[in-house]
Amino acid sequence: MKKRIVAMLLASSMVVASLAGCGGGAAPAPAQTPAADTQTETPAQENKTEKVDADIEQAEATAEESGYVYEGTAPITQEAGKTIKILAETSNYTNVDIKNAEIVKKVVADSGVAVDWDLVDYNNYQDSVTPRLSTGQANADIVLLPDQDTNQTYIKSGLFQPLNQYFGSMPNFTKWLQDNPVMKAELTAEDGNIYYVPGTNVGKDYQPCLMYNVVWLEKAGMSAPKTLDEFVELLKYFKENDMNDNGDKNDEIPMSIMKDFLPYMFGPAFGLDLVSGFQADANGNVTYAYADSENYRKYLEFLNGLYKDGLLEQEFTSLDRDKVIERISNDLTGVAYDFSWAMSMMYSNVLPYYDGTADKAFVGAAPLSGEHEGFYVGRVELGNMFAISQGASDPELCAKFLDYAMSDACQELYQWGIEGESYQINADGTREFTEKGKDNDWLQQFGINPSFVFPAQQSVASTDVLVADWHAKSNAELRQYVVDPWPFIYATDAESDTINTYMTDIQTKVDESSAAFITGTRPLTEFDAYIGELDSLNLPAVTDIRKQQYERYLKALNG
Amino acid sequence: MAKKKSQSAYTEKKLPLKKRIYRDRYLLCMMVPVVIFFAVFCYFPMTGLIMAFNKYRIGSGIKGVYTSPFVGMQWFNQFFRSVYFFRLVRNTFLLQFWSLIIGFPIPILFAVAVTQIRRKPIQKTVQVATYLPYFISTVVVCGMINNFLSPSGGIVNQMLNRFGIESINFMNLPEWFRRIYVISGSWQSFGFNSIIFVAAIMGISPDLYEAMRVDGANRRQIIWHLVLPSIRPTIILLLIMTLGSMMSVGFEKVYLLYNTAVYETADVIQTYVYRQGIGTSPPNYSFATAVGLFNSVINFAIVFVANRISRKVTDTAIW
Repeated sequence: MKKRIVAMLLASSMVVASLAGCGGGAAPAPAQTPAADTQTETPAQENKTEKVDADIEQAEATAEESGYVYEGTAPITQEAGKTIKILAETSNYTNVDIKNAEIVKKVVADSGVAVDWDLVDYNNYQDSVTPRLSTGQANADIVLLPDQDTNQTYIKSGLFQPLNQYFGSMPNFTKWLQDNPVMKAELTAEDGNIYYVPGTNVGKDYQPCLMYNVVWLEKAGMSAPKTLDEFVELLKYFKENDMNDNGDKNDEIPMSIMKDFLPYMFGPAFGLDLVSGFQADANGNVTYAYADSENYRKYLEFLNGLYKDGLLEQEFTSLDRDKVIERISNDLTGVAYDFSWAMSMMYSNVLPYYDGTADKAFVGAAPLSGEHEGFYVGRVELGNMFAISQGASDPELCAKFLDYAMSDACQELYQWGIEGESYQINADGTREFTEKGKDNDWLQQFGINPSFVFPAQQSVASTDVLVADWHAKSNAELRQYVVDPWPFIYATDAESDTINTYMTDIQTKVDESSAAFITGTRPLTEFDAYIGELDSLNLPAVTDIRKQQYERYLKALNG
Repeated sequence: MAKKKSQSAYTEKKLPLKKRIYRDRYLLCMMVPVVIFFAVFCYFPMTGLIMAFNKYRIGSGIKGVYTSPFVGMQWFNQFFRSVYFFRLVRNTFLLQFWSLIIGFPIPILFAVAVTQIRRKPIQKTVQVATYLPYFISTVVVCGMINNFLSPSGGIVNQMLNRFGIESINFMNLPEWFRRIYVISGSWQSFGFNSIIFVAAIMGISPDLYEAMRVDGANRRQIIWHLVLPSIRPTIILLLIMTLGSMMSVGFEKVYLLYNTAVYETADVIQTYVYRQGIGTSPPNYSFATAVGLFNSVINFAIVFVANRISRKVTDTAIW
């Protein structure tokens, strides 16, 4: 069984291949966001895109000495002997040498320049590169940022060059900006420039969702619950019956939900986006979901009820994915909640009776509704950020390289690989991965979705082909329930200072209180005191900042 | 002998500095690497403490350590004013305090016991078996603790169930955290920590044992009147050294064992600084430095006081 789990873990990476960075780890903490400069607060300096728009309009491609003009297709230069040094990360697969992967080598070869790779271990990238950038020395021409720089720290440190001046050499990037006004607004720093070329995540597809063991559902004679009441009824049935037919009625664990997914799963039924933490209503009012005196209290009461009834297990705070997989592989649990890719690639595949169909699998279902209609929380689409360092020897060439690396031609390579090698085009024009391409190890080593080194965009189409048919269908059905998360917003220095000063204490209070209220070690009669404690931790000041940021975001978006 | 000593001291004074340097040139050369090592890795970095009083600008490099805007006591104030300040200090102190109370005497008692074993092979086997856990990495130890104490299937709870006791969710109950931390820490390190005491006991002259035996002393009397007094300076030295890290709990172990449900007793200064100073984006190195400085000052004060007390009470001191 152990071998099987390992095999399934490896197989799961096929989806991660297409949705790399889709959140393989734990669920993200509620939005603890932005930060950057005090001088920004006058309307004239607000985060608007006029400057970017004007720069794009005025941008003109310039010819090299040889007369060659880069227009968005390979090569980026006709001058021989050019080298660019790129600081990026290794693949998250230890058996993949990303810089020598065929797809990566092809992009580099087509571009007409040589790349001197400086690859830092994927698992330590942030820890290694943040101090390195802190020293002010990137020692590379192009740098993959260790985070999204929501505080504009790196922008203000002068480490990177504004890209506006190179727009003439970036036809693919400028077109992408014009086609994606939301991300253009998000990427525009407070000085009106854009500094980063991003990779992108899918925002509404293959998001975390609720999954049920369909075999257990059938045995219970129930369909996937739509409401909290139905859900509790189902859990009780699972708990009281011998769902796995092993003669022991006591070994069933009704649901196996990791702590970080509880807010995803139950928050929406109470009208709360606990994933983002801060949320805005239709009127633009910004609130902190964990301080909602009515709905958050009801949320905690509900979970406390589940805990008391033994439907939420004692160990929920320390449950991890390995344990969930182990339980599923032993047919011990009926409900899970995780990133969508786990559905067919990690959970269903380890079920003892999985036959490749949705009838014997863990299948995604609609979110639970309570007094409020349920929803799933999507992801910010901006992913890995690439920048040109101030010390780049030939920044214009770097701009061209990044531009080419995000061109449609390269995105096709990232998502599908090379025709005839990793995929083929059928007679009806559809694509499918070749037999080799369906071998995850091979596909990874081929360099599929090299978001570690290039601004790659996740693709729903290629993921649909990779996962089981029923999984792709389930994703298409669930897309309608996904709402936008709290947006990516740059912050000012003053905002950053305030948030960094107060938010850790607020987060600490929220984390420990939620665990205490759910387990009952702190009675819910103290909920009002908890709200008071949050206020005393300066939550109103943080909420005000979030409000200002959100207004700024809306202005930048709507003009 | 005394006369000789004072005579050489007199000649020493008479020799000019240059001549003394020339005379000891080889010895001084041997000392150079050590001086360089301490200067580069200990004393020069200490100048970086200035970061605790400024707002370090990311991207400003080493120069920025000294040239970033001065903010005075801002980071200290931020730390002291945190509602969690007293809880953090309390948790940090108590974890170390109990580790000391429980963990310090055990290696001494073990060393005394193990040196009383007459059969060498058995003695060596016992020693090796007890200091092996020290070499297990913290991550593995914490994984073992989590598995053993799991309410569903953990060996400890299975045993409790056999005796009709309900499972206890050890890792989620604040009242259990310190016990788990201290006991597991003592288990892991008592064998290794006893090595130095074993060495001290081995250094006691066999003549003294023999003399006591001739005088009719039994084993208990030998331990009480010979062994323990002989290793007293070692005990005190190690005690003072241990006191020097009273406020420095091992970050990794707490970080790997704690969760939000046990913050009340498990959240220590180091984990808080990680969340507040290093874990944020961008990292606030100045805040982390300020808290580090605060910790070091407290540690130094404890060592200083302990040394003074030791000197007065036992006549043994580090300096």
